[in-house]
Amino acid sequence: MSTIVKEKVGYVGRAMKRVEDPRLLKGLATYVDDLRLPGMLHAVVVRSPHAHARVRRVDGAAARALAGVAGVFSGADLNAHCGTVPCAASMPDLKAPKHTVLASDRVYFVGHPVAVVVAATPYAAVDAAEAVQVEYEPLPVVVDAEKALEKGSPLTHPDLGTNVAFTWHLAGGDIDAAFKNADRVVRQRMYHQRLTPMAIEPRGCVASFDRGSGTLTLWTSTQIPHLVRTLLPGMIGIAENKLRVVAPEVGGGFGSKLNLYVEEAICSYLAMRLGAPVKWIERRRENAAATIHGRDQIGDYEVAVSNDGTILGLRNRTIADLGSYLQLLTPAIPTLTGLVLTGSYKIPAVRMDVIGVYTHKMAADAYRGAGRPEATYLIERLMDLVAGETGQDPIELRRRHFPKPQEFPFPTATGLTYDSGDYDAALRKAMELARWDELVGRREARRRDGGLFGIGVSTYVEICGMGPSKAMMAGGWEWGCVRIEMSAKVTVITGATPHGQGQETSFAQIAADRLGVPIDDIVVLHGDTSIAHYGRDTYGSRATAVGGGALVMCIDRVVDKAKRLAAHLLGARPEQVEFQEGRFSLKGGAGRDLGWTDLAAEAYVAKNLPAGFEPGLEASAFFEPENFTFPFGTHICAVDLDRETGKVTIVKYVAVDDCGNQMNPLLIEGQLQGGIAQSIGQALFERTVYDENGQLLTGEFTDYALPRAEDIPEYAMGATVTPTTANPLGVKGVGEAGTIGATPAIANAVIDALRPLGVKHLDMPLTPEKIWRAINRR
Amino acid sequence: MKLTGTYRLAAPPARVFAALVDPDVLQRCIEGAERLVRTADDQYDVHLRLGIGTVKGAYVGTVRLTDQQPPDRFTLHVEGKGAPGFVRGSARIQLTAAGAGTVAICDADGQVGGVVSAVGSRLLDATARMLMDRFFERLGAEVR
Amino acid sequence: MFAAPFDYARPKTLDEALSLLSKHGDEARLLAGGHSLIPAMKLRLAQPRLVVDIGRLDGLRQIEARDGRLAIGAMVTHAEIAASRTLADLCPLLVEVASAIGDLQVRNKGTIGGSLVHADPAGDWPAAILALDAEIEIAGPQGRRTVTAGAFFTGILETAVKPGEILCEIRVTAAAASAYVKTEQKASGFALCGVAAVVDATARRVRVGITGVAPVPYRAAAVERALEGQALAEGSLAAAAGQAAAGVTPLADIHASADYRAHLARVNTARALQRAASR
Repeated sequence: MSTIVKEKVGYVGRAMKRVEDPRLLKGLATYVDDLRLPGMLHAVVVRSPHAHARVRRVDGAAARALAGVAGVFSGADLNAHCGTVPCAASMPDLKAPKHTVLASDRVYFVGHPVAVVVAATPYAAVDAAEAVQVEYEPLPVVVDAEKALEKGSPLTHPDLGTNVAFTWHLAGGDIDAAFKNADRVVRQRMYHQRLTPMAIEPRGCVASFDRGSGTLTLWTSTQIPHLVRTLLPGMIGIAENKLRVVAPEVGGGFGSKLNLYVEEAICSYLAMRLGAPVKWIERRRENAAATIHGRDQIGDYEVAVSNDGTILGLRNRTIADLGSYLQLLTPAIPTLTGLVLTGSYKIPAVRMDVIGVYTHKMAADAYRGAGRPEATYLIERLMDLVAGETGQDPIELRRRHFPKPQEFPFPTATGLTYDSGDYDAALRKAMELARWDELVGRREARRRDGGLFGIGVSTYVEICGMGPSKAMMAGGWEWGCVRIEMSAKVTVITGATPHGQGQETSFAQIAADRLGVPIDDIVVLHGDTSIAHYGRDTYGSRATAVGGGALVMCIDRVVDKAKRLAAHLLGARPEQVEFQEGRFSLKGGAGRDLGWTDLAAEAYVAKNLPAGFEPGLEASAFFEPENFTFPFGTHICAVDLDRETGKVTIVKYVAVDDCGNQMNPLLIEGQLQGGIAQSIGQALFERTVYDENGQLLTGEFTDYALPRAEDIPEYAMGATVTPTTANPLGVKGVGEAGTIGATPAIANAVIDALRPLGVKHLDMPLTPEKIWRAINRR
Repeated sequence: MKLTGTYRLAAPPARVFAALVDPDVLQRCIEGAERLVRTADDQYDVHLRLGIGTVKGAYVGTVRLTDQQPPDRFTLHVEGKGAPGFVRGSARIQLTAAGAGTVAICDADGQVGGVVSAVGSRLLDATARMLMDRFFERLGAEVR
Repeated sequence: MFAAPFDYARPKTLDEALSLLSKHGDEARLLAGGHSLIPAMKLRLAQPRLVVDIGRLDGLRQIEARDGRLAIGAMVTHAEIAASRTLADLCPLLVEVASAIGDLQVRNKGTIGGSLVHADPAGDWPAAILALDAEIEIAGPQGRRTVTAGAFFTGILETAVKPGEILCEIRVTAAAASAYVKTEQKASGFALCGVAAVVDATARRVRVGITGVAPVPYRAAAVERALEGQALAEGSLAAAAGQAAAGVTPLADIHASADYRAHLARVNTARALQRAASR
């Protein structure tokens, strides 16, 4: 179906610098906080300092009396007008609190919005927020998900009568037989710590209401302007087609901006009510407390193994700490963990029981990788544990459980069908890059000298390219549009909403090749619902895999249409016209040829069109992927530990990733580098800490440790290319591979370094103190 | 946040106890207590300027005395709220005669919420300990 | 991050600054490099009515070698110290510590005087100031006085500088054999444990300053006593370092427990002493 072009000599596959970068580097990009509208007011949210308390009284009188204050609103003022926060993930037995935009009579996490103050300047708004008097009556708090399940635990929501939000299970194969037939069961309890996404740009929005037309425009730092446009109307009572949502430049999301948040609804509503634009910019401490968190799963994991080292089955009970309420996808995250729990291995039987539990913390939701890093960490740790307990080489154990290339499409016990893969090829390449034998020799030499040197491997697979609509809550297609302008410049519009992934560059590369036009003639537009009318935005490593599919469809349609016009102008039948490198000519090479300039002018002037030919040269398309995609790869990490202090030094890092066909290797490398950096943070030092009273102790960068340049080793990176059949580009997606593949490699390396001391497992983050304690058995 | 401290005071328990339940003495001993206004038996409204060095927050709240068993023990409760959030704490103080003086054992349990705990957690325990030490240092001076 | 309203004054002379302080008392705060005060103000944890910017005062910005001593003005930035040839030659510990502070932006703006007066118990300077047994000159309404480093740090975020006073100068004696060994708190870069050691092999004496471990930075007196008059061999240094947390109640927080901090004090003291002795 797709147009055949000579991609070898084109833009696709070239490591091109991002067209986005100059404006970002020069400070010319427009973020939400750069927007200044006439008469704009500034909102500040008053938040609960208590993790759980009855709200006795909210008194805004003193705040209202201050100069410049346009309004002070409590839950009593707004909740009737603003609906509740939408959750798109459903569970049969789900119990959910009615999470209104502002607290009504109860707050249930530190940072819970209680009131909002709107004033002429941000200073006046902050002054007024301080003057709002809120009377709280503290209530009992639970912050530990396991304790929340105990009898007599304080309840996160007393009216629900339980802290259990839902139960969910996944079963495939004969798990009972697997454990009955097992010669040995390897068990490990593992805790996946809570993380704070900490995008460099916190959230923020500006809402502006045009009274004349009755239309509302919301600029918001989001990954999902289209989903916001779908969901917000139901909250604030505006028609979908009177709402325009714009995601301007977005300074990082990582899933945290894959949500509709109360502040977006509040500002939108207040802009209509006050008749003035309202801006809200999240402060860092608010971002830490009231933007979603990630991970936070604890479980007991069991692997059934036969004497010859074959893994027969895997079962577990996982407690997912959801925090205190549900954001957009909260309950769905652990289900993603379940789907890819068997990783890149043939494991015939699996059972996972998940209990979603409420605690007095911020809601957990999709953080880069969303459910899959948990699964990959678990299975990759378990592979090392099984290897250790059965005396097998961890590499060989992995190898013997890989499905072979000819076994794809490969059905898993969890019910998925892996599209394509050659797991051993990626492993071999990574070992080659790592100089495996030399590395192992180095480890043995260090051990002989009393050093603590470890090597960790992760042979991961992830589920990406989200996704076929039948598996997605609100459709998994993507929309696109390609327009040859009258001047023959090309406008590409995508419903995916890149915010750092670089599709302004990679989509231009694809379009330039397929249309045969210079790349500089192409502009890629996105992130504005009045331009990209429909879309399903960017998350789950989907923008190129699914959005790229729509782009290819549009290009094919435009080229087909252009061929019909060219045939007419050349006096031939369409099937006689050949399209190559931007030129339309008759097959056989006879006669004149036409370019886009000729055709575009003719198409819009519309004086000499074939009968029934619609003017213009534009096509739009919805692309529906037939399956998810399953990128994979091997990461190898080597670490050296300081025996006295427990400090970890990464001495080698190798990543071989297979994300299918590569549109732009530089973008892929950038995505991977960032993802691995986030993994280093998670494996070695990041964690979100609440104390026993539910106070958030990691509320700023002074206490939440993000990786810095000095923490990042030199990466040796490589790739294998195994295209997918799920989309016409054969791409699998790469946005999350780093955070999914790298974490277990690093953790496995640290634990391997401690293996001579008898250490089998440590939970992340693997801080120097934790390692020091393990070394000294303290 | 839990703290325990043992302090020696150069006065018998009865005198120490009397000083501890005297609002004027309390005001002088509680760091940052700017005003103590009696609202009921053993209950006072208080204005606190709590903090250390440059970092200070204004809180309005109450001081209450409960479980009084003169001259052996009582519990002191302090609660305050303000723009930086809230402070809540109670301290069980046990007085035992030791020679001519008193040994005071203080078991305190405190909670700080809001911006202070979000950005200052690393210093909270040590600061609380310092404030507790100062309370008894000043009390020692009062009863000497 | 919007500070509460405040007035701003930028005196031209030290006397003018002192009189502003005496006029406004507790309501006034001095602004040096602004890397402690401004964040506190933005979080509204500090709400001074008047900010007195001493950034334009003469006489607080020089590094001088004077009478066999080195004098560093309070408003000298960490970056200036890190780049000072004079200090590199005569007192490399100050250069080493300055380079370990925060990041480049912090070092470019933050000052040694501001940092010392802020007295964060995990700041880097206290370790060096203690190990160098520095003298600190403070100007006040009654004139100038000098405080020794050992008497300077009085509490968490509290020093011997009283309300109404201004720290003017830090004076140290040249010391060649020295080292600073720091374990960073991963998030903030402050010291979980920073140990500065100065070794005088001829006099067979060491001085060790430790920051980040206790509520107030301290001299490791037991370590110093154990090495007094001893030949500074590797074994004796390591043994003495075992006393680095003796008599101290270490800080504990989410970043490190008390016993890990005490352990780091011992390890970093041994490393600092060995490194200093080898210089």
